[in-house]
Amino acid sequence: MHTPSLTAGTRLLPTRHGACAAGNRGGRAFPYFHAAPRQRPFKSQLSADQQMASCGAAAALVSPATSPLLPEAPPGLKRSGRVMSRRSELMVACPVVSVVFPGAVTRESCCLFACELLKHVMYQRHQLPLPYEQLAYFWRRAAKDGDGMKKPPPMDPASKKCQQVLMELEGVFQHLEVMFRLTLVPRVLILLGGNVMRPKEFYELNLEGILEGSAEESLKTASCVRKLFHSLFVADVFSELKALPAMGTVVMLQGHRNCGVDWFRPKLNYKVPTQGRKLTVNLSCDGDINISALPAQNVTSDWEDYVWFQAPVTLKGFHE
Amino acid sequence: MDEVAGELKQALPNVCDSIQVHVEVLQKSNSAAKKEDIRMSVLKLLNRHNIVFGDYKWTEFDDGFLNNNVQSVSIVDTDLKLKDRQPIDLSKGSLSLHIFQLNEEGPSSENLEEENEDIIAANHWVLPAAEFHGLWESLIYETEVKSHLLDYVTTTLLFSDKNVDSNLISWNRVVLLHGPPGTGKTSLCKALAQKLTIRLSYRYRYGQLIEINSHSLFSKWFSESGKLVTKMFQKIQELIDDKDALVFVLIDEVESLTAARSAFKAGTEPSDAIRVVNAVLTQIDQIKRYPNVVILTTSNITEKIDMAFVDRADIKQYIGPPSTAAIFRIYLSCLEELMKCQIIYPRQQLLTLRELEMIGFVENNVSRLSLVLKEISRRSEGLSGRVLRKLPFLAHALYIQSPSVTMPTFLQALSLAVDKQFEERSKLADCV
Repeated sequence: MHTPSLTAGTRLLPTRHGACAAGNRGGRAFPYFHAAPRQRPFKSQLSADQQMASCGAAAALVSPATSPLLPEAPPGLKRSGRVMSRRSELMVACPVVSVVFPGAVTRESCCLFACELLKHVMYQRHQLPLPYEQLAYFWRRAAKDGDGMKKPPPMDPASKKCQQVLMELEGVFQHLEVMFRLTLVPRVLILLGGNVMRPKEFYELNLEGILEGSAEESLKTASCVRKLFHSLFVADVFSELKALPAMGTVVMLQGHRNCGVDWFRPKLNYKVPTQGRKLTVNLSCDGDINISALPAQNVTSDWEDYVWFQAPVTLKGFHE
Repeated sequence: MDEVAGELKQALPNVCDSIQVHVEVLQKSNSAAKKEDIRMSVLKLLNRHNIVFGDYKWTEFDDGFLNNNVQSVSIVDTDLKLKDRQPIDLSKGSLSLHIFQLNEEGPSSENLEEENEDIIAANHWVLPAAEFHGLWESLIYETEVKSHLLDYVTTTLLFSDKNVDSNLISWNRVVLLHGPPGTGKTSLCKALAQKLTIRLSYRYRYGQLIEINSHSLFSKWFSESGKLVTKMFQKIQELIDDKDALVFVLIDEVESLTAARSAFKAGTEPSDAIRVVNAVLTQIDQIKRYPNVVILTTSNITEKIDMAFVDRADIKQYIGPPSTAAIFRIYLSCLEELMKCQIIYPRQQLLTLRELEMIGFVENNVSRLSLVLKEISRRSEGLSGRVLRKLPFLAHALYIQSPSVTMPTFLQALSLAVDKQFEERSKLADCV
């Protein structure tokens, strides 16, 4: 393991306003390609494995071929040319990314997919200045440093915003976990900007095709997450999009009417918006699946009992 | 209770039973129960109480299901159709149940210029919003302003439904409320939007209320203002395209957008402003083809508005300062609230104006306080609704300053506050 060099960091750093080396206008480099970002002197002291550790599940996504530390393979170059034609097609229609897992998946994995997608979308769409894991890491670190001092350092508005978003996100993740434990979740929506009926853009995670399995007979979570993000990367859905101003993000998900969740608010009248930019991520399972895995037919029969629930917080994006 | 009601029914022969009774059922925000289940339970509840006198609201129920899922069941707006408070037979009249949930998130903002993020061109609510709950009831007007407005929109929808040829009979979906400041024009617009969303929930899933900040539509660039108006209406158009939504466009202080073009002849206005008027007028003509939109506008200075716009407004409703009777009801609702919060303690029964009339304004132990209030109301004539609603606050701040008072002391303070209000007003007039 070697420490990321500052030059690599500078080159790979996604820029919000200008174009990146390879004409990456609004989209950001995937966080997994991210070496040390500029302007925070203490970040460059981070060793790579520390960073990986702080990245949690996301760290598992780095495949050897696209190692973050290889300066000769900057992400921007990979997305030029070849993908262009398909990308423009994707932008005209609503882009759909379909991922087929070769086996059953646990419900906990599904929950993690939703959480990781939320983190990813918020970073890619400029609602977080850094990937979630890094923000959380630096925040924890700063908090630890603050303990030693007599008085907590005065908080500037930006770090207050950062703290609030991190806390709210943390809350959303916990409640998502509860929700996934209580009920089958066929669909998750991440809505950015505007209001829930008419968002500026939104992301739909469709889990209807998932076959649920128990922990023993299901695929490993990490490999599924890797597959999901690999597909997202190949489809290259974020790079052409214009940068967004900071705005609110709302999470909605479908669940059973009587699942007994109390944090999420039922929205009985809700229907998925027809306007606004949309990205659909379809997840499904295929292959040799043991029938002991929960058959999906059982639940589809009373599909109308699955209603939309809305998280009662709006995650307020911020720029550094 | 039922027997008493039954007896009363015998005593009062003209039980009104052929009217449309609207029942609003507020479902709890954490309830995911099916609308049909709630409907059944509420109908059962209404069956047990088949006679009501005027508006009535249930907030506690014997039924466990209702307790868990329903915040309140209210029989509303009976006073709009019936002149007097009279018994209504629920089993005979036709009931329309409106089951709704409130949206708790506040307004979201719309920006027009992408590069300029700071200018918020419009506030945007999803209706029914928690913010506007109870607003309709708090607005008190003596004439049939409210029923007039409701009937107008009902007719509009009927005409749209029956596909009346709009070239032969034209209607514009524009309501103009005008009158002195502080009479609740803007509030009435918001309340009307909320009310209609609830009333029409059977055909529209939700309502959208867009409050346009008219000043933000004027660009710093010459000739750009007209384009901004067009952009704004494009956004509105996108909302209208959703057939499940009932869209309300609220333009407050509309005279700033549609100032009379005749004034331009004097050369005091830049020609850019004239383009704004033209843009607004053409956009309104565009929008009126769609069945699911209503444009609500308010103005303080009607004579400044362009005639072409005034012509387009279907309803030009004057909202004046409240009459004594309305002032009495406003005070009564204020005092009721203060008693509920136990700032006025102990609780005293106050009579309504109608009840006072029935006993012939005779002073006795029961009516004494109400008569004092009536006198205060008479002296308050000329004050606007906005001032009236803050007088109880001022009375407490200036003359009481203790956590709880008795009703007579409070009324005394209120009376002093009214005097002070007029004193201040005359001082201001002297300065000018």
